[in-house]
Amino acid sequence: MFTHHPFLKWLVGYEIERKRDLLRAPEGPLKEFLSVPFPSVNSLLNQANIVSVDFETTGLDAVQDKLLSVGFIEVQQQQIHLGSCYHQIINTQQKLKADNVIIHQITDQQQLQGLPLETVIETLLKALAGKVMLVHFARIEREFLKQACLELYGVAPSFPMIDTLVIAKRRLDKKDVAYDPSELRLASLRAKYQLPQYSAHNALNDAIATAELFLAQTAHYPDSTPLKQVLL
Amino acid sequence: MDNDLADISAFIHEIPPFDQLPPNLLSQVISACTICYVEQGYSMPPKQCGANKLYILRKGALTHTDHNDELLGKYSEADICTLFCQQENEGDTNVQAEEDTLLYCIDYQTLHTIVINYPAVIEFFSQSAEQRLKRKMSQINEEAVIASSLMNTSIKQFYHTPVTTIEKSASIQQAAIKMTERGFSCLIITEDQSSTSKPLGIVTDKDLRRRCIAQGLDYSLPVSEVMTTNMLTIDSQSNAYEALMIMTAKRVHHLPVMKKGKPHAMVTITDLMNNESQNAVNVIHIIRKAKDVDELTSISTMLPKLQIKMAKLGTTADHAGKSISAITTAFTIRLIELAEQTLGKAPVAYAWLAAGSQGRQEQFAHSDQDNALIIADDMQPDDDKWFAQLATFVSDGLARCGFVYCPGDIMATNPKWRQPQHVWHSYFQRWVNTPSPKALLNSSVFFDLTTVHGEPSLLAQVREKLLENTKGNSLFLAHLSKNALSLRPPLGFFRDFVLIKNGENKNVLDLKHNGIAPIVDLARIYALNEGVAATNTIERLQQVAGTPSLTKSSAANLIDAYEFLGLLRMEHQAKLLQANEKPDNYLAPKHISKLEREHLKDAFKVIKTLQDSRQATY
Repeated sequence: MFTHHPFLKWLVGYEIERKRDLLRAPEGPLKEFLSVPFPSVNSLLNQANIVSVDFETTGLDAVQDKLLSVGFIEVQQQQIHLGSCYHQIINTQQKLKADNVIIHQITDQQQLQGLPLETVIETLLKALAGKVMLVHFARIEREFLKQACLELYGVAPSFPMIDTLVIAKRRLDKKDVAYDPSELRLASLRAKYQLPQYSAHNALNDAIATAELFLAQTAHYPDSTPLKQVLL
Repeated sequence: MDNDLADISAFIHEIPPFDQLPPNLLSQVISACTICYVEQGYSMPPKQCGANKLYILRKGALTHTDHNDELLGKYSEADICTLFCQQENEGDTNVQAEEDTLLYCIDYQTLHTIVINYPAVIEFFSQSAEQRLKRKMSQINEEAVIASSLMNTSIKQFYHTPVTTIEKSASIQQAAIKMTERGFSCLIITEDQSSTSKPLGIVTDKDLRRRCIAQGLDYSLPVSEVMTTNMLTIDSQSNAYEALMIMTAKRVHHLPVMKKGKPHAMVTITDLMNNESQNAVNVIHIIRKAKDVDELTSISTMLPKLQIKMAKLGTTADHAGKSISAITTAFTIRLIELAEQTLGKAPVAYAWLAAGSQGRQEQFAHSDQDNALIIADDMQPDDDKWFAQLATFVSDGLARCGFVYCPGDIMATNPKWRQPQHVWHSYFQRWVNTPSPKALLNSSVFFDLTTVHGEPSLLAQVREKLLENTKGNSLFLAHLSKNALSLRPPLGFFRDFVLIKNGENKNVLDLKHNGIAPIVDLARIYALNEGVAATNTIERLQQVAGTPSLTKSSAANLIDAYEFLGLLRMEHQAKLLQANEKPDNYLAPKHISKLEREHLKDAFKVIKTLQDSRQATY
């Protein structure tokens, strides 16, 4: 009955895909994650349990490049809970390229003391169970997370996601005026909303930065707004 | 987690009272926080946060108004909003986001539990403005005792040498005689009279009183009977601070100073405490000996240095004001004496009067001169020539010493303020009995007149009659109050501005007109209402405390506020004086620390409360 709307077709798809993936997933963290139903797409956005996630990677290619660190924080009922924050560097077991180190500032030394990918993904999946993932520019997190699941569990599931970049883009597109793509950067959008500048560039800071931007973007939404309005 | 939330942690750690928390507790506090966002125009608290929360503003601005829409305060970055900590406050609290606002929100009870072992932190939120101010002032007063500059001062600056000793076989009476002769309040007891003799103990006035007289002990007994053995001593290489610490910790007032194991000198707690007033006393001493105006002028250049020194030593503003006023008085007296040397003796009795801040003994270096002359009623018309010459000589002299002529011409050189006693009687009668706000505005300084030199009964009689008239005189007090209440303290601060009543922002805080003067005015009204003769603000407040005009606790609160504002002014002026700039009363908010802003807000609140109650009375 929702199929007349192209968006909603996708939304209904999340639960169907989850059930399909659940059958294929091996025993373990992924199966546990998939066994918790996703929130209903018709539930209220302001009641949604959301996890804001950010990855630092060695590059943009999920197959060739490596996941370096994971940061996340929970957003419940329009509040970011600082006590729920998580930040972990991953031991990729490969030497980092110098030009990359400059961006994410994770040194080889720190990396060697990191945890294995498996442990970090397990923690992330536990936090994500039954919740919606919030990111800025979904492609990186979606593809790296899928790739990691594929490598670790042999299945690449779908994740219900909200993308602050997409929310911003839709808003700009609606205005029908040309804009510079750089306006969609996290820092530019935050500046537009007068949000504070964060000094350090790391996965947790970016996850918090994304969550704050999301609160600012959705603050004026009516209370009756359903989750599906912002879901990818 | 500490490192991961470094940014938020650093932000909150800068804000008092969270700056007092150790890292582990700070991170517990942060873990208990949520971040929320309030859009411009929306009311606080955000509904998703629930009741009993404390908010820290990360970005944006909040406006606090009362039910009549009158602005009560504003909050901006790094301000803490405690209005929603307690459920019962919420009903009449109207707080709106003036800009889009990002907040850190923490449950008040949870915060309470985390910082349970840091009562100062929770008191910061739970205490009233009055309680916080009182705490701050007692802390400042403690610090004044532990004056930092004593650390840099050798004990040599303070001790008396040589130390007076007496052999242990001498009688108690002999010891008392020796102490009286030398003017010492203590003696060191030695084995015998040889100079190499080791000290055995110490005997003080107090020992004689407690161990001899009170016990009815025979004073022909050897002095060793009443001495204190286990004597505490200090080495002559020590600094004054160490000596003060030993004396305060062990509650002794005398400390023998040892040099190479032998008693060398004596230092007393009074020597250390009166250090700065000693300076004032010395200056007054030189003023008294000055031979001419040139000499006085060169002495006056020491005044700014003295004020800087007093500020550095942590002297209270009250103490500094009294010291400076005493010095001005000394200058005035010496100028009058010099005038009399050339003019000859005064034809009739008179008194030189000081008005305004000098009259209240609250003067700071290089303020205006406010003075007047009261002359005995038996003066003849020709006599005024003598007094006019005196006035000109003294006021020119004062001007040369850095006390600029009064811009309002309240000076003895003005014939209006150089009058026989009966005219002064009539002045006050007119001000009091047919008051007009404008006349009172210019005459309020005369209610603070004191006698600097001459016949004190002249002014005393005028004041006596005046106070009879003002006591309970509601019409007069209403007019005086109306003027006084026109100077209102600001609401607080908003970003780097001073926030005033109508929501306007100012770049600077005028400590004098927005804080100190309103208290001075209130104290004057209370004193006149209660017939109190004192002119010094603190003395007035102390003397009216507990009368119908002012409760004891309100008096204490006003004194705390007055002392705090005075201290800020003194420190501010010391900074300017040190930089060779002209001292003023203007503080830029960006130079006021976060904590000082909180205390200032508390002081403003105290003033406002009493101004409001004054307003309701008249």
